[in-house]
Amino acid sequence: MSKMSTVARFHALLWGVFSLGGFIAAFFLPILIYINNIAYPLGLWPVTSQDPTRLLVINQTVSTLFVFAAVGGSLFHGIFRLSATLAELGLKKQEAKITALGYAIIAVGLLALGYYLWVLSPNIIPGLAPPWSK
Amino acid sequence: MSTKKTHYPEIPRKNLGPGWWLANRHYTVYMIRELTSFFVTAFSLIYIYQVYRLASNPGTYSQYLDTVRNPAMISFSIVALGFTLFHSVTWFYLIGKIQPIKIGRKKTSPLLALGINTVFLVIISFAVLQLFIVGK
Repeated sequence: MSKMSTVARFHALLWGVFSLGGFIAAFFLPILIYINNIAYPLGLWPVTSQDPTRLLVINQTVSTLFVFAAVGGSLFHGIFRLSATLAELGLKKQEAKITALGYAIIAVGLLALGYYLWVLSPNIIPGLAPPWSK
Repeated sequence: MSTKKTHYPEIPRKNLGPGWWLANRHYTVYMIRELTSFFVTAFSLIYIYQVYRLASNPGTYSQYLDTVRNPAMISFSIVALGFTLFHSVTWFYLIGKIQPIKIGRKKTSPLLALGINTVFLVIISFAVLQLFIVGK
């Protein structure tokens, strides 16, 4: 009984994070795609010749946290939703494997994103340097 | 009070093929809405790879920027932006449908939620632009 309720609570938590990720992707992702992948290569307003990612994540605290929230939240939401969509597109039998793979990608993706952002902006965790960084 | 369980007969279900969502306009719109997750996922993974390239080897990072400037990548990004904006609009509408806010006797409509959240999207986008200006 208590095991079931723990599982149910964990499931509810995952759906909560999924929902939060949906908001994050809806509010933050369009502007990030526009600036980084459209305005920068095409030289459109408001980007100059400088790479927007360097501006955002090298020795910047607020914008680095923004990138972590925007990309991490979107990754969680996207993979969670894509796993369910693939099941609806005829991969129902492979749903458990797809879900497990999805969680693995989310875990590796979030850890990698967090670590490399920390390497680029060590000041996001004051007084602690990232291990193995150059 | 009776504790006897009622057993309902199982309703026969038709096996649906992978193209079931093309049979009806509503299903098609639903599936396009769900498939926005592919572009959300793809962009997130591509961006994580970009951060990795910048952090692990700044010397060869400019080679990656050539990939960003590639016409195929720009085309993909324009399509991804379209799908992401479609995600934003449908998500705002859906939230208004699932969680309407009660004001007095009336409840807010999904269209109102869409309108208010779209205004927030514009404000937040301009606020994010300030991060770039601060970065300069």
